[in-house]
Amino acid sequence: MNCGMLATVEDGVVTKLVGDPEHPFNLGAQCPRGASALDHLNHPNRINYPLKQVGKRGAGQFKRVSWKEALDDIAARLAVLKEEYGAETIATTGGTNRTDDFARRRFFNLIGSPNVVHTAPVCWIPNFLTESASYGWAAFDPEIAGARCVVVWGHNPGSSYLPEMRGLLQAKANGTKIIVIDPIYSETASKAELWLPIKPGSDNALALAWLNVIINEGLFDYKFVAEWTVGFDELSDRVQEYTPEWAAEKTGISPELIAESARIYAMSKPACIQWGVATDQLGKGSTASAQARVALRIICGNLDVPGGDVMPGPHPTFVTDWEMELNEMLPEVQRNKQLGSEKFKLNSWPGYKLLTENMLRVWGKSIPAEWFCEANPSRVFRAMATGKPYPVKACIVLANNPLVSYANSKLVYKALKNLDLLVVMEYWMTPSAMLADYVLPVASWLERPVMTTTYGVSDWLIASERAIEPLYERKTDFDFWKELGYRMGQVEYWPWETDEDMFKYRLDPIDLGVDSYEEFVQYYRMHFADREYRKYQTRGGATLSGKIELKISLFEQLGYDPLPHYVERPFSPETKPEIAEQYPMTLVAGGGFMPFFHSEHKEITRIRLLRPYPRVTINPALAEKFKIEEGEWIWIETPTGKVKQTAFISPAVAPDVIQAERGWWFPEKEVTEPSLMGVFDSNINVCVDDDPDTCDELCGSFCSRGIMCRISKVEEDA
Amino acid sequence: MHWGLLINLKKCVGCQACTIACQNENALPSDLKYCKVAKVGPHGRYPNLTSYNITVGCMHCEDAPCVDGCPTGASHHRVDGIVAIDPEKCVGCLFCMLVCPYGVRQLNDEKGVVEKCTMCCERLDEGRVTRCVETCQLQARLVGDLDDPESEIVKQIHKQNAQPLYHHLGTKPSVYYIMP
Repeated sequence: MNCGMLATVEDGVVTKLVGDPEHPFNLGAQCPRGASALDHLNHPNRINYPLKQVGKRGAGQFKRVSWKEALDDIAARLAVLKEEYGAETIATTGGTNRTDDFARRRFFNLIGSPNVVHTAPVCWIPNFLTESASYGWAAFDPEIAGARCVVVWGHNPGSSYLPEMRGLLQAKANGTKIIVIDPIYSETASKAELWLPIKPGSDNALALAWLNVIINEGLFDYKFVAEWTVGFDELSDRVQEYTPEWAAEKTGISPELIAESARIYAMSKPACIQWGVATDQLGKGSTASAQARVALRIICGNLDVPGGDVMPGPHPTFVTDWEMELNEMLPEVQRNKQLGSEKFKLNSWPGYKLLTENMLRVWGKSIPAEWFCEANPSRVFRAMATGKPYPVKACIVLANNPLVSYANSKLVYKALKNLDLLVVMEYWMTPSAMLADYVLPVASWLERPVMTTTYGVSDWLIASERAIEPLYERKTDFDFWKELGYRMGQVEYWPWETDEDMFKYRLDPIDLGVDSYEEFVQYYRMHFADREYRKYQTRGGATLSGKIELKISLFEQLGYDPLPHYVERPFSPETKPEIAEQYPMTLVAGGGFMPFFHSEHKEITRIRLLRPYPRVTINPALAEKFKIEEGEWIWIETPTGKVKQTAFISPAVAPDVIQAERGWWFPEKEVTEPSLMGVFDSNINVCVDDDPDTCDELCGSFCSRGIMCRISKVEEDA
Repeated sequence: MHWGLLINLKKCVGCQACTIACQNENALPSDLKYCKVAKVGPHGRYPNLTSYNITVGCMHCEDAPCVDGCPTGASHHRVDGIVAIDPEKCVGCLFCMLVCPYGVRQLNDEKGVVEKCTMCCERLDEGRVTRCVETCQLQARLVGDLDDPESEIVKQIHKQNAQPLYHHLGTKPSVYYIMP
């Protein structure tokens, strides 16, 4: 999320930072990270110059080199690898909300590799693409202020998305009912009218039972369903087996409460189902659970109506990320090599091709390939580690710490170690950066212009200018891709001198009569395209049938079940009875928490002191059983791995559930191998499996919500 | 004119932005906090639970034990009701820390003087709001004139039946809470 900030600059130095009262997200406020942004800019640990590893990788023997030397060498080595193994041997991993993603994709399309990766399969993308397949875009702009009921499903804005939480509380004060669905008694749950404490990973069962109740009790919008949708009869037949009684056993919620909550949602019109990402992290069944929620929204008539789930569509005139990516430059033969695309077809080239055809017909533009059409991370890391199905020999990591951010960290380690070339562009020296051949200094948000477009899928944009030129030798990611592109025969495709020139080019078709990007920021700052509701009426649905599809034809085209259905959780006593006795507890391995952003901000003292050690939440009953004291280090173990965190004893979790924090590494620990800043000590992704058979069938999402685990006390000095 | 704060515990999610923003505003050492945040609960048995978050700083009491007991006159009331500490007069005797019923005073080791929330009096004097009010994403905080019956803070205190914390102690705090 990009909040608006006002920086005071004196003689080229940022002296003060406050929230921008005119920014629609934060209205002048700041979170702890925003309030510490100057520490981020000037921190002594920031990477300021290009560094080259001159010893063994991981030994921390870095030497300062010039940008020219670094880029010349990287380009030359990439060219050699491409020549020997094909362009697909070059991969990239990326992060969120700090980069210009189209530039990465442009570079990769031009060199000819489809192996671009983010944490996309576990972050919104299964949700977004299921919606897109059903009605042609995602309805991700819920009009909470006008809703009579908001369902917050697997999402805790009270800890991870504060402006959204402000909106929820304002709506609540005006009488909007808030329903929170979460296994954890979260900050958001504590403010809700109704909290449904489901068993981890049982979201799909609950959604299916809601469909059952709403359809069988006739609470859906008959007129809307009849006029604008296809597949209702088949949906109705399908959900008959998913009774509240059936779901009660799966979810731990009584049949009465399931039925009652379904009625509240269906009978409060308009209502929103706010998107969260926990439901993208169920592993196998993630997309099926999105499918059921999408059907709920449709049959209750909440799609694209005032106070409901509003679907933005692309910005009509701004040159979007999709238009900047040059996807047409990637030949079919290279698209087919995208790792994982033969199995996980929705969020890779097979699904993207079909989605794009539908979207072009209705919107004239598609969604970006970045995030929405990617290689599968687990497959890419396996290819790096094993050379199968073909060798991946080089990786460029930008705004990402893969050792912490992806499942199965020890496999990721093996993968990165096995590369011929690892380039990391970073703010900080991270565990992943320690393994790199080159670590390159990246400019942060005060040192670069930022354009917020929600990953290129919103019909609005908010722009800010750089407060200062990049300090030291830091560069923007756009400059990096451009200058690396220059060296790889892409000169004609990077015609813009600066980030600002590039943004100006993209803004020009809006035709606001500005002479420069800075002028746009000064006079306009943001641009919201005219938006109409109920676009399915005026434009038709961007689907094969042209209608809103409850039976999703695009899923059928790809060979998947087109109707909502139940998928057994990948890790449960039912699916893995052989280990049920050894691993009797359920691990929730994630959830954003203040004050960190993903794996970042561990170095900033004030922030770190708010949460100096990783915490695993355990119920008082469990603590008593294991004689665990508050703050004591305990082991968390799954068949995949074992890490330790400190006990936080709280009834916020059920007695057989534990919630471990994610993203942990320790900049203060030994930086070199084998410690790598303690990256395997408390990083919960060491315990998270990414076996493709446990991943979502459509999007390849690994499961971090509801994993079989056990705990034990850490003996002294362990 | 009597400055007061209103804190809405129905809204606070305990993000601690106020703590950090205040530390940066006042250039405090990392272990010194003028505004602390505590999570209360959850209490009960899963899933029947309640919890809330509370932020605690100087209550700027009208009958302030710290002011009454300060041997050097360093702790004093400004005319606008704010309890202030004059660092020139403070000798670090810690008496005020003993008598403050809210435990919000801390010794600044670097300076050898006791410190606590100033209610950003310099900002208020300039017509700006306190840093904690400015930074709060949930809009859970409000600063205003308790003497002015037309002020937003007074209206909200009446409307939401806000109360000082531990008002039975009788120190007449200027900080009010809307309880969860």
